[in-house]
Amino acid sequence: MAKSDSPMLLQGTLDLLILHALQRGPLHGYSIAQTIHLLSDQALKVEEGSLYPALYRLELDGAIAAQWGVSENNRKAKYYEITKRGKKLLAAEQETWNRLSLGVQRVLERQP
Amino acid sequence: MRNFFLKLRRRRDMERDVETELAFHREMAAAHGNPIPMGNTTVLKEQARDLWRFALAENLWRDVVYGARSLRRSPALVITALLSLGLGIGINTGIFSMAVEFLFSEPSVTDARSVVSVKIGGNSHSSKEIVDFVRASGLFQDVVGENEETYINWDDGAETRQIFSVQLTKNYFTVLGGPMAYGRGILPQDPDEVVVLSDRFWRTRLSGDPAAVGRAIRLDGRSYTVVGILPANYRTLIGFGFSPDVYVPRYLDDTILAIYARLKPGMTIGQARAGLLTVAERMDKAMPAPYKYVEGTQVAAIAGMERIKSETEMQTVGLFFGMLLVVVGLVLMIACVNVASLLLARGSARRQELAIRLSLGAGRGRLFQQLLVESAWLALLGTALGLILREAMATAVGRYQPPLPIPIRLHMALDWRVTLYAILLATFATVACGLLPAWRSIRQSIAPNLRREGRMRMQRALVVAQLTLSMVVLTASVLFLRNLLRANAISPGFDVRHTLYADVNLPPRAYRDVQRKRVYVDAALRELTALPAVESAAAARVIPFTAATRFMIGIKLPDTGKQVHAFFYWNAVSPDYFRTMGIPIGRGRTFLPVEGAATHAVIVNRAFAERYLPDRDALGRSFLWGDIREPYVVVGIVAGTKNFSIGEDDQPQLYEDLASIANDRTQMQFVVRSATPPGTQIQAVRAALRRVEPDAGLEVATLYSSIGLAFLPSQVGAALLGGLGALGLLLAALGLYGVMVYTVSRRIREIGVRLALGADRRNITGMILASAAKLILIGSAAGLLCAFFLVKPLAMFLVPGLRPSDPVSFVAVAVLLAVTGLAAAWGPARRAAAVDPMTSLRYE
Repeated sequence: MAKSDSPMLLQGTLDLLILHALQRGPLHGYSIAQTIHLLSDQALKVEEGSLYPALYRLELDGAIAAQWGVSENNRKAKYYEITKRGKKLLAAEQETWNRLSLGVQRVLERQP
Repeated sequence: MRNFFLKLRRRRDMERDVETELAFHREMAAAHGNPIPMGNTTVLKEQARDLWRFALAENLWRDVVYGARSLRRSPALVITALLSLGLGIGINTGIFSMAVEFLFSEPSVTDARSVVSVKIGGNSHSSKEIVDFVRASGLFQDVVGENEETYINWDDGAETRQIFSVQLTKNYFTVLGGPMAYGRGILPQDPDEVVVLSDRFWRTRLSGDPAAVGRAIRLDGRSYTVVGILPANYRTLIGFGFSPDVYVPRYLDDTILAIYARLKPGMTIGQARAGLLTVAERMDKAMPAPYKYVEGTQVAAIAGMERIKSETEMQTVGLFFGMLLVVVGLVLMIACVNVASLLLARGSARRQELAIRLSLGAGRGRLFQQLLVESAWLALLGTALGLILREAMATAVGRYQPPLPIPIRLHMALDWRVTLYAILLATFATVACGLLPAWRSIRQSIAPNLRREGRMRMQRALVVAQLTLSMVVLTASVLFLRNLLRANAISPGFDVRHTLYADVNLPPRAYRDVQRKRVYVDAALRELTALPAVESAAAARVIPFTAATRFMIGIKLPDTGKQVHAFFYWNAVSPDYFRTMGIPIGRGRTFLPVEGAATHAVIVNRAFAERYLPDRDALGRSFLWGDIREPYVVVGIVAGTKNFSIGEDDQPQLYEDLASIANDRTQMQFVVRSATPPGTQIQAVRAALRRVEPDAGLEVATLYSSIGLAFLPSQVGAALLGGLGALGLLLAALGLYGVMVYTVSRRIREIGVRLALGADRRNITGMILASAAKLILIGSAAGLLCAFFLVKPLAMFLVPGLRPSDPVSFVAVAVLLAVTGLAAAWGPARRAAAVDPMTSLRYE
C-alpha cells in the first residue's frame, strides 16, 4: 500500500466519507470512489480492496441499502443508498471527526 | 433446514454479485483511464463471505487457538476468573450431586426399577408370617424382608460394643442381587450364623483385610462366619446414605420386617397394587388381626420420581435442596458478573486490537465469536476446576459421620446427571460472562464516540446486580444463622449440662424374662448411684431426642363421663428420673419405689392435664385407658419437655412406672446426674454397667451430645448458608473493589484538577466513597425488594417464631453489605486521595 502517495485513511474515516458521498443520492461503488476522489481534490484515492468490504459492512449494519440497477452506460450495477440509520451514524461520526481534526490542528499549530 | 438452503442459495448469489460488481468497477475504471487495481477478487469474496457468517465453523478452531493464546497473556485475569468460576461451579455441582444422592440415587440392587416396597395394613414393618404369606401368594417374583433398626453386640475379644445391624430374610441377597467387594451374599441354604460386612465396618474394625472372608466374628455371644464384604459405594434400600455395619439373617423371633418385592417381568406397580389387595383380603380371612390388612396396603417404587411422589420426607428434602440450588445458583451468578466485569475492563484495553481487525475487514460476527470463545475457555477451565472441587467435597462428605445415632455414609458420585448439569453450568457461565463484554467491545470499536460513559454505566449496573444478588443470598444466610441461635437458646425442658445417658443392649437370649430385666435395672441403678460423683441415676424406656414413642388412645373420665382421644408422648421411668433429668415436679409426687398393684400410677405433664383432664383438678384424678379395667391415677404433674425437635410446641406427655410395666425390650436406657462435668464420668459409668452385665452392648455419652440430632438441621442449614453468604459477599466486594479501582483510574485527571484547585484530600476520599455508597444503596434497595419476596418460602425450614419477613434480618444484612462495600471501596478511595496533581495532569 505504501506505493500509493495518497495518505492512508484512518480507521472509520472511510465509512464517514462513503456516507457523506451518498448524501447526494444513490451511487454505485465506482462512482462513490470517484466522488471521494474528486471531492478531495484528487488527494484521496479509495482502493476497491478497502471500498467494497466497507460497503458490505455498512450494508450489514443497515447504514446503507443496496439495489441492483442500470448504470449510465446501460450496464447492470449495484446502487447504494444511505438509510435513516446511516444518516444518524454520519452525524455522529462527523462530530467525532470534527473534534479530532480540530484537536490535531490545534496541537500542530502551537509550539510544544 | 429451509433456512440452511436459503442461506446456501443466497451465498451463491452473493458470490456472483461480488464478481459482477467488481467486473463493473474495473470496466468503469478502464473506461476512465484509471489503472486497473491489483485487487484480488477472491480475497474480496472471502471477506464478503466472512461478513455473511458462512465461515463460522471454519474459523472456530482458529478462534479457539487464538483465544487460548490471548488469555495466556493476561494471567491475573485468568486466575481471578478461574477462582470465581471454579468456586461457583464447584459448589453448584457439589450441592447438585448431593441432591442427586439424596433424591435420585438408586439402591445397589440389580434392576432397581423392578423392586418395590410393600406395606400391609398401613404398617411399615410386618411379622415374618405376613412376609411368608405374601411370598407364598406368588404375586411377586420373590419377596424379602429386612429390619434395619437393630443393634447387635459385637465382641472384639477385648470389649463388647453395640454395632448397627440389619436383620434379613436369607433370600435377601439372592433376590435383590447387587455388587460384592469380596466373597458373596447370604444364601438361602446358609446356616443362621453368617454375616455380610459393610465396607466401613470392615475397614475401620477389621483393618480392611480381604482375608476376613471366611473368618469368624462374635455377635451377641455367638460365632458368625463372614461370607461377604460389600463395596464402598453400596447403597441401601432406604438410601439417605444409611450404611449399617453388618447384615445378618433374622435372629430374633419377634423381629418385624420391612417388605420388599421384585416384580414379575412386565408387571407394573399398578397391577401389583391391585394384586396385593386380593392377597391382603385372603390374609384377613386366614389370620385375623386387630386391624384389617387390606386397609393401607401399599406398593411403592424404591427410587426415582415415583419414590419422591410417595414419600413426604423426600419432598421436604427435595424442597430444601431446591432452595440450596437457588442460593448457590445466585452465588454462581455473582461470580459470573465478576468475570464479566473483568472481561469488560479488558475489552477496553483491547479496543485497539479489535479496531485494527475490524479495519482489516474482519466481520463483527467473527470478532463476537472470538470473544465468546475466550469466555468459553474460561468457563471450561472453571468447570474443570469446579469438578475438582466437587471431588474434594465428595471425599470429605464421604468420610463425614454426622452426629446421628445411625451410621451414615454419603457417596456423591459424578454420574451422568451431574455431568450434564456441569455442562449446562459451563454453557451458562460462557454466555453470562462473555455475551455482554463481547457485545460491548465490538460496539465500542465501531462507534468509539459512545464508549466511555456507556461502559462505566454498564460496569456500575453489573456491580449493582451483584450487590442485589448477594443481598438476597445474605438474607437467607442471616435467617439461618438466627435460626441456629434461636434453636440453641430454646431449652429442651431437661438438664443437658450435668447429665449422661447410657444405652444398654442386653443379650436377648439371656433376658427373655421380664423379671430378669427388672433385677438387672435395680442392680445397675445401685451400681450407678454408688459412683462417687453421681448424684442420682434413673432408668427410662425413652430418652427424649434419641427416640420417641407416641400413643393415640381413647381415655374415659369416670367422674365427668367424658371420653377423649388422647394423643401423647409416652415414657416409662424409674422414680428418680425427674430429679436426674432436672424436670420440675409441679404438684404431687414421683413414683414410689413400690407402687400399689391395684391402680396404675401415672405422671402427666401440664399440657396433658390441660388438654385431656379438664374441668377439675388433674392431680389425683383417675381415668380409664382404652379397654383396660384398672383405672389410671395421676399422682404427679410435671413440666413438659421437648420430645424430638427443639422447635416443637408443648405436647401432652405421660409417664408410667418402669417397674410396673411389662418391659418387652432388651434395650435399656439410663440417665445419670453428675456433680462433676458429665464428660469426665463416661468411663466410670461404662465400667459400672459393665460390672453388672459384661455381655451387654454399651453406649455412654453426655446427654448434650445425644440431642445433637435435634440441632443438626439448624446447624447444617446455618453452616451451608452462612458459608454461601460469606462467599457471595466476598465476590460482590471484589466486584465493587474492581469497579472502584477503575473509576479512580478513569477520574484521575479530574481528581488532579480538583487537588490543583485546592480541594481537600479528605473531600476526594469522600467523593469516591460517596460514589461507592450510591451503588451500594441502589443494590441494597433492589436486593431488599427481591429478598423480601424470595425468602418467604424459607419459613418452612425455620423454628417457629422466626419469620422470614422479620425486619431485623434485613437491617442486619443491609448494614453488613454497607460495611463490606465501603471497606472494599476504602482502598481505591485512599489511592484517589494520594494522587499527585502534577503527575495526574500529564496522565493519558
